[in-house]
Amino acid sequence: MAEISRHNSFKPVMACLSSGKGGVGKTSLTVNLAFALAQKGLRVLVVDGDLGLANVDVLLGLQVKTTIQDIMDRDADPLEAVVYLEPRLGILPASSGVPDLAKLGPEDHRQLGSILLPIAQHFDFILVDTAAGIGSSVLWFNTFVDYNILVLTPDPTAMTDAYALIKVLSRDYNRKTFHLLLNQVKNEAEARQVYEHLARVASHFLNLNLEYLGAVPQDASVSKGVRQQQPFVKIAPQSKAAMAIKSHAERLKGWAAQKSASRKTVGEAGG
Amino acid sequence: MQKPLCTLNVCPLGAEECPLCAEVQRLRSECAHLRELSHTDALTGVFNRRYLMTALDQERERTRRTGLPTSLIMIDFDHFKRINDTYGHQAGDEALKWASQVWLNSLRRIDILCRYGGEEFAVILPGTRLNAAVRAAKRLRAALEKTPVTLLGRSVPITASFGVDAYRHTEELTVRAFIKRTDHYLLEAKIKGRNQVCCRKAEKGKQTMEVTVDERAALYGGNIPSAPGPARKK
Repeated sequence: MAEISRHNSFKPVMACLSSGKGGVGKTSLTVNLAFALAQKGLRVLVVDGDLGLANVDVLLGLQVKTTIQDIMDRDADPLEAVVYLEPRLGILPASSGVPDLAKLGPEDHRQLGSILLPIAQHFDFILVDTAAGIGSSVLWFNTFVDYNILVLTPDPTAMTDAYALIKVLSRDYNRKTFHLLLNQVKNEAEARQVYEHLARVASHFLNLNLEYLGAVPQDASVSKGVRQQQPFVKIAPQSKAAMAIKSHAERLKGWAAQKSASRKTVGEAGG
Repeated sequence: MQKPLCTLNVCPLGAEECPLCAEVQRLRSECAHLRELSHTDALTGVFNRRYLMTALDQERERTRRTGLPTSLIMIDFDHFKRINDTYGHQAGDEALKWASQVWLNSLRRIDILCRYGGEEFAVILPGTRLNAAVRAAKRLRAALEKTPVTLLGRSVPITASFGVDAYRHTEELTVRAFIKRTDHYLLEAKIKGRNQVCCRKAEKGKQTMEVTVDERAALYGGNIPSAPGPARKK
């Protein structure tokens, strides 16, 4: 806990991973990106944004005592809810099997925001793993963060669902920049092909430029990590998937550096 | 409502039959009675227009906070003047009282039935989506149609027209504007021949995964039209 007491008015980089379609590996990628970022020296918080069917804790075999719902319902201390996987990697867990919590209203979202911001100040990078689909909480998390990462596989239904989410977020919530992260691809060429196709459709119909964040190849170490309830970046650091994640984490680290640089510029100009 | 300065029911000085305490009690109960009167319609006993405005404003705020829509039904009797002209104004009043009771029996306890003025009524349906409010309005219409009122010993059929709309948390709308918008659908029901329910057309696919046929074709088959799409123009 010694880590969490500095930077009182500090706002970290926040990004959320969404997909539209379920089962594309969002949670696994979130956890592994977070682990890789922590290895690079950043203090990272993973927020389990799947408020009705949480599974970050399951994927990591964590013993959860307090969840986001406990903080919202009975004012549990948010900082005590954070479970540390590594000294620099915290997880804010949610509850599983609580259907009504997946449907939060604007007031609940305001409360959620007021809970997350003070916790966030103790970290450099926040990664939110949202639920699948296009529910109100998914939309809210996507407007709450700085960066929107869309996870998809080369499967056409994953592509269509990701596109649908992009469409709603750009049309109704004025989000204009989306970073695509391709998962379970055969190779880089396949990932590029899927990205370019989706980017063309988005440019034509939505007048949007989609950014390519990268791809994570099909790799046996990914399912091995799930079985062992450990990040694959930790148990198979030299695997293809882990190497890819580490390279994408470098991009994300760049976002943090960018934000910190712009803050300094603002600070100097203001001071 | 202002809080009372003191909530004591016994004399603070210990006097057994304190006239001041008795007077305070009397004023309190009169105040409660007047409050009741101030939001009740004297004829029908349902809420009045003043209460409609207050309650609608509160529900609007609740919608803004919870995200659950507030629905409104505006009701106007059909050819009410004929009833007054044929059976007299007292009979007309009887018909209004009769209809209020019929509707109260068809509504939920949380719904707020108000007399808006004359032969016009309104129902606030808190936390209710448009489609559920339309179903409720259809119930009210059918209930009135199938239960004729007895006026001067004769069974007289009465009907009404209904306009329905819902206020969503994303909208910036005053109470008056919301009533006016709903009134528009009531007018539509009148123009279309009365004794029916008209409502705002639900925006199709707004909350669903809305991907058009063209977009789907492009996503699946790579078939992107050469001309720029509609979203392209700035």
